[in-house]
Amino acid sequence: MFWYHWMMIVSLAISMLACLAHIIKLIRLGKPIDYSQKAGDISSAIKYSFTKAMSPAKKESAYLHLPTYTAGIIYHLGTFLSIFLFFMIILDLHELLNTVLDIVIIGFLALSTISGIGILIKRLSKKTLKALSNPDDYISNILVNLYQLATAYVLFDSSAIVIYTMITSALLLYLPLGKLKHAFYFFAARYHLGYFYGWRNVWPISNHKN
Amino acid sequence: MGVLTEEIKQRGLEVLSSHGNSKLLTHLNSCVHCGLCSNSCVYYKVDADEHYVPAKKVDIVASIYRRYNTFLGKTLPKLTNARDLDETSIDELVDLLFGSCTMCGRCTLHCSIGVDIGYVVRKGREMLSAMGYVPKTLQATVDAAIETGNNMSISTEEFVDTLKWLEDDLQYELDDENANIPLNEKSKNVMYTLNPREPKFFPLSISAMAKVFYAAKESWTLSTEMYDVTNYAFFSGNMDEANIIAQRMDTEMKNLDATKCVLAECGHGSRAYKWEGPNYLGRKLPYEVTTSVELLAQYIRDGRIKLDPERLSEVVTLHDPCNLARSGGVIEEQRYILSHVTKNFVEMTPHGVDNFCCGGGGGQLAMSEYNERRMKIAKVKADQIKSTGASIVATPCHNCVDQLTQIDQHYKLGVKIMTLAELVADALVLDEEKK
Repeated sequence: MFWYHWMMIVSLAISMLACLAHIIKLIRLGKPIDYSQKAGDISSAIKYSFTKAMSPAKKESAYLHLPTYTAGIIYHLGTFLSIFLFFMIILDLHELLNTVLDIVIIGFLALSTISGIGILIKRLSKKTLKALSNPDDYISNILVNLYQLATAYVLFDSSAIVIYTMITSALLLYLPLGKLKHAFYFFAARYHLGYFYGWRNVWPISNHKN
Repeated sequence: MGVLTEEIKQRGLEVLSSHGNSKLLTHLNSCVHCGLCSNSCVYYKVDADEHYVPAKKVDIVASIYRRYNTFLGKTLPKLTNARDLDETSIDELVDLLFGSCTMCGRCTLHCSIGVDIGYVVRKGREMLSAMGYVPKTLQATVDAAIETGNNMSISTEEFVDTLKWLEDDLQYELDDENANIPLNEKSKNVMYTLNPREPKFFPLSISAMAKVFYAAKESWTLSTEMYDVTNYAFFSGNMDEANIIAQRMDTEMKNLDATKCVLAECGHGSRAYKWEGPNYLGRKLPYEVTTSVELLAQYIRDGRIKLDPERLSEVVTLHDPCNLARSGGVIEEQRYILSHVTKNFVEMTPHGVDNFCCGGGGGQLAMSEYNERRMKIAKVKADQIKSTGASIVATPCHNCVDQLTQIDQHYKLGVKIMTLAELVADALVLDEEKK
């Protein structure tokens, strides 16, 4: 193993420990105690929160902004794919991918990077978004864009491994600090929302005609 | 508001840093600043100013949280826009959280991540309240409730007088001296509550409900000690005062030994007692708490009251109060009731859990300094009403009645605003001998 492999492994360990600390804190604090009389089905509502409530048919943030929503979905799929490939690379399994699959993956990662850049351009050009943004928003976006691009590049040319490990390490170290930590807070947020609406019988929406 | 001392500041920061559970921590760390919530907010819809984006309201609270509670916020505050809690940020907080949000929760429903934006705004208001930065007008409403027992400072004498003449009228209308508005009677099935706007401005809605109780042969009473269903401390964010108000209701339920506490048509009032009340008190309530909307629907289902839907020829639409529907799960009952009082019902678009706020929520009606803004955002509701073509707007909330009445005048809609009890009372088919 070379120094850059060690750098990536150490970054991964630090990142996982820091993320774990966040997650343990959330689990330790637990859900709120509600003394009111429960009116609905919490399990169904939590399931709904993670599924139908996220669909473009239910969320204005999706159906009123379909191009951004689509770009966001592609961007996130590209990130998940890059994470999967990251484990293949550190376990030295990426050689298992054949040329055709490599090309498909590289093509998709190029598309997802373009989506990420599109989101960045929107953030820079739209007045309301610009006012809402801080340096963390830009750093997070750029880091993930570079990460996806580096993943594609290393699949194309394995000699790019040094640049790949450097970008990956930077991303891993930044993950638990800035807004990228929504990677795990997202799940907690959807859980709490499902719990709240389920307790009061607001969700699942199929309980009601309206 | 006084000088911001270190001690006052700490009181505010304590609200954000003390976590009894993971809910606040989660929602303060989840927003990704995508801004896709903007169109879900009535403020942004009428004025596309960046300050009205719901995420901005979350961000200002979260930015203060970050400054004092996170590694990046403490070491490199500019990187995450972590802000100091000072006079400047407090002014902005007051304007955004009190003056630019009705806490309707519509943005929460549509947030791409699932941030409970309404909850974060409420915690922000709690922080401001802990430091003494609640707008004076809103605080005056809370003070009135704490000091006099109701938010309109109605004296017991005035209240009893009003009920007496309403009772006389009811007996005359029904030609039955047993048609009563009982006061402080013990061991009844129902202890009914009121929005103080009723005895003050809309007394006929009290007689409407009394008429329904009479038709349903309900065993019920009102209390002169505690009848106010509202709890404006829910809006001001003062949990101690919210607790005092909820405690009074609980005490009166026990004093009168009633079986069921029925909350009048009031969105936030029903939320504040049915859903938040037990949590203010820190215990389960040993009796049933229900809304008058659910009770009216139950009377119809059980055949305890009969209604004639042919009597009303006008087109009726419905405004769903945010706290009753979106945050309270009462969604179908009001429609079920209306299906029995009219054959000319038309829905607003959108409606139900997705309905737009009328603009009067979040204590806006009590904060006169934001009146102009309140009437401006009401355009969304005015347009919704207009496009239904209805001449009657039904709404099970007296706060909404007040706001919708002002919308009607301001936007010259020419509609009549009615509560469900009023519509039900008008449609009642009484026994032959009691007609």
